Amino acid sequence: MNQNQDNMMNYVVEQISSKNQLHSKKITKNLGKFDDAYFTRANNFLKRYVKLLENEGKTLDYAIDCYLQMIADVNYESVQFLQTGEYTSKSFEEVNKRVYDNPAIMEYYMHALVMSQFLWTHHYDILLYFNKVISDNSKNISRYLEVGGGHGLYISEAIGIIGEMAHYDLVDISKSSIEIAKKMISNDKVNYMLTDVFEYFPENKYDFITMGEVLEHVEDPVNLLKKLHSLLSDNGKLFITTPTNAPAIDHIYLFRNADDIRKVISDAGFNVEDELCVYSEDMPAEKAEKFKVSMMYAGLLVKK
Amino acid sequence: MEKSEILKQVNAIFVDILDNEGLVLTEVTTANDVEDWDSLTHIHLVVAIEKHFGIRFTSQEIQGWSNIGEMVDCIASK
Repeated sequence: MNQNQDNMMNYVVEQISSKNQLHSKKITKNLGKFDDAYFTRANNFLKRYVKLLENEGKTLDYAIDCYLQMIADVNYESVQFLQTGEYTSKSFEEVNKRVYDNPAIMEYYMHALVMSQFLWTHHYDILLYFNKVISDNSKNISRYLEVGGGHGLYISEAIGIIGEMAHYDLVDISKSSIEIAKKMISNDKVNYMLTDVFEYFPENKYDFITMGEVLEHVEDPVNLLKKLHSLLSDNGKLFITTPTNAPAIDHIYLFRNADDIRKVISDAGFNVEDELCVYSEDMPAEKAEKFKVSMMYAGLLVKK
Repeated sequence: MEKSEILKQVNAIFVDILDNEGLVLTEVTTANDVEDWDSLTHIHLVVAIEKHFGIRFTSQEIQGWSNIGEMVDCIASK
């Protein structure tokens, strides 16, 4: 591996440029809007990730190839979505067989998702919003839960803002996710629980729950939000993110617009205290609508 | 269908999707030559081409064309 340790993002973008001209144009355009703070944060994240890769005998080049494989899959799923108006998978059983229970697919997919954190620029907008939400509410958070922790970036940010005196739990149904989170989170304050959240019955409720990009992976998002409702204290707050129009190999539930998401939130017994909607492409809203560009929704929810 | 005719029809699809009236494609045109041809618009171009010619591309084909000539060859082979 010959990438400059101080500027891994440049290396990643250069590699993508040499391997996928079309995607490179998008990445270059979208990254153009960011300042040094973004690249500093992205490089720090990549440094932690490269250590994880090296411990597994892998390189950043391997992760870049995983990412480009995911882009190929997303492109194919997008063509099907635009042809039919539906996601290709309709049930958890289908996705389980196709992705979660398929080690070869999961291996590349997990690494591709980690790479997407700083290459898909709307992820960064949402991360900044999350940091603001946590900062605004940190005084009232003594018990924090994250459901579907992914690569552990959000809970790491939360610990950094709230402080180490609070109690942190992370529940994830995926062993691969838990393993990556453990390696990415350089902190022993987090209790990891490998279980289905529906099988999780803690003794105490939580002041704050975060669940990023999980609702689109389940058949019944209302039921999942109701479960989180039961885990939240009366004055607690729930932070969720989920995308609209985002075909992927493991997405089941299709939200066509923000109102679809708001209805699910309301049906589960929540009010929206604050929200942010960000398109996945840096373009005017009119053009984004024309091209059915995916929009990431982030909501801070409270009990009705 | 002759490849020149396929190229003509593909050109019309690009003009429509990219909203670029003056666009003239040749067999050696690449994404670097066309400002708005990126991974997002590529998907919409693929969908429009599939519908227009009544064909379906594989995942590998969608990723594999390095210029317009290869895209036209692929359409002709269907």
